[in-house]
Amino acid sequence: MLDITALLEEIKQHPYTDLSIKTPHTGKIEFSNLKEGDKVTDATGEFKEFPGTKIAVITRENNPRFIHACQKGIIQKLHKEYDNGFVEAGVEIGILRHFLTKEEVINTILQKTLHLFLAPERAKYYFIPDIDTKVKVYGSRSVTVTDGMELFIVSRMKREVPLRYTGPNGIIYQVYFSHNQNVDVNQPLIGVCSPDQVETIEDVVSRVNHEWKEQN
Amino acid sequence: MEKQHKVLIANRGEIAVRIIQACCKLGLKFVAVYTQEDVHSGHVKLAKELGDKNSLYRISSYHDANEILSVADTAEATAIHPGYGFFAEDFRFARRVTERTRPLIFLGPSWRVIRELGDKINTKRIARSLNVPTVPGSDRPIYDESEAEKIAHTLFDFQLQQGVKTPLVLVKASAGGGGMGIEEIHDIDLFRSVYRRIRNYAMRQFKDDGVLIEQRITNFNHLEVQIISDRSGKNPVHFGTRNCSIQSTGLQKRIEIAPGFDPKNIHYTFDAQKVMDDIIEHSLVLARKVNYDSVGTWEWIVTKEGNPFLMEVNTRIQVENGVSAAISRIKGKNGVDLIAEQIRTGLGEPLGYTQNDITFDGIGIEYRIIAEDTEHNFTPWVGDIDTFKYEKAPWLSMHTHLPKVSKENPYTIPTEFDPNLALGIVWGTNLENAKQRGKEFLNSLVIAGSNPQGESLKSNIPFLLENTDRILKF
Repeated sequence: MLDITALLEEIKQHPYTDLSIKTPHTGKIEFSNLKEGDKVTDATGEFKEFPGTKIAVITRENNPRFIHACQKGIIQKLHKEYDNGFVEAGVEIGILRHFLTKEEVINTILQKTLHLFLAPERAKYYFIPDIDTKVKVYGSRSVTVTDGMELFIVSRMKREVPLRYTGPNGIIYQVYFSHNQNVDVNQPLIGVCSPDQVETIEDVVSRVNHEWKEQN
Repeated sequence: MEKQHKVLIANRGEIAVRIIQACCKLGLKFVAVYTQEDVHSGHVKLAKELGDKNSLYRISSYHDANEILSVADTAEATAIHPGYGFFAEDFRFARRVTERTRPLIFLGPSWRVIRELGDKINTKRIARSLNVPTVPGSDRPIYDESEAEKIAHTLFDFQLQQGVKTPLVLVKASAGGGGMGIEEIHDIDLFRSVYRRIRNYAMRQFKDDGVLIEQRITNFNHLEVQIISDRSGKNPVHFGTRNCSIQSTGLQKRIEIAPGFDPKNIHYTFDAQKVMDDIIEHSLVLARKVNYDSVGTWEWIVTKEGNPFLMEVNTRIQVENGVSAAISRIKGKNGVDLIAEQIRTGLGEPLGYTQNDITFDGIGIEYRIIAEDTEHNFTPWVGDIDTFKYEKAPWLSMHTHLPKVSKENPYTIPTEFDPNLALGIVWGTNLENAKQRGKEFLNSLVIAGSNPQGESLKSNIPFLLENTDRILKF
């Protein structure tokens, strides 16, 4: 039986995650006026139409691309030694300390509660068309999965093959993959919850909502 | 060369390795690029070994022109070699490279040539104006249903007159490619429904409902003509023909042989030498017409009766360039390198030889070595390779981007790209000798590894062995 109290206490001891800020492209980089210790915000608005705090701008072939904070938090480190220099793609230019939101805490605990169906190989994953429609229209929790049912399309190297779900019967409580994004081997694709687990999970959600205080 | 050039290699894997080698052979500096997925690729290792501190840059994508040009400026490159795939046949990229504030040389045909021959319909139109045979059918997109049906009827009747028992017509989205938006019709009564389906699909996918109607030719051999010309575009020469008929079920080439037929040792029901001579001459006529100014491949299909039809022109260096080079001699010398020739002439040097200086000797076979399950629809196999070895021989050249692998240091095949592992090119004095050497090579080749599920590596070596006996035959 999962000890939610202990798990919550464990997360409270370390209530943040340090995110590496990396260059999305090669190009010439210019940092904004931010300094270490400054607070930043992530994208806001109903449709996330307002980007997060600007951290830097990277210019390739006269095309500027802004690097915005993707989460709210505090700037722990900025590698300003790269300022006005040419950087390659994937270079760390800073570290952002992000304090966990309620939703993230719930997700962390759920990953220990749900049955996780893992990606058997690095590839792009899609639900089969019928399930995909159902997930889009009614949400993933409307889908009941059974051991051996054909659930996914695995796409790699321009080839697509079907993939069957294996594990306990239940509903898809969480989906962990996105459209057109590669999933690494052994990363979770879905979290499945058996009908008798629903009560426990709702208890987790309610306790986190009640007990977790988000930092601004 | 008058100026000390530096070539940016806008590609990855085997072709990047070969461009680096060609640059070194020509005494040119180079700069290579790689993405995170390719960090362990052989082309990265080679660039580190042979280049200077400005010879290797990590980028986020091989498809990002901004990044590539940004690297070109930083590394002070003067030319860009696109390899094959990615930007190789993108006339907009070629134009941008050559017409920007800091112009670079595009080591491929001029952008106007790519634009002219990159469009299959336009190629067909030019070819027909020169009496070059093309696949029967429309030479422009058809937007009118009754006109499309009339063409389909004509094609059915034509095939019946030719004695084809089951005539077939292809309906293709004219803006499509890569096998998308194509259906074949065996019954003319089904034409309208298929036409409408393809037209609607084309509109959804490509925002253009133009459709091509063509005769579907079955039981054919796929031949190619290798052409090269310098920047003058006046004196194209050929490096013979290739036969690329042994393909996967997805119509991807697996074995290529040069020359395209072997009339001395195989009986054909038609004059195979004449067919090869004809397609070479037709290809050169078209090359001269458009002032072709780089390397390129003219792709043909040849029916069992010996009728050739031009399919398309690939305005780039092709994977299989090495097999043509293997049988070619310039002024009697072997060691022809078409990639080096492309770079040298692309940078402005004249060709320096004529067709009379090019001779051919023996038979070349190129094997594409791929991790795939040939018994299950050629599904790519992905995992770690820990063994890759073969017996070296003077008649064998191996091109690969695989680094040195071992049990302790395996190479993980990236899932983001095509699963090609290596190209093995075998040369023989005649067909039998080449086939025997090909089998000897394949039998010595060991590729092993495993995937995360613990399953052993699957490769196409058995398929290549099995098909070696039927090369150059219909």
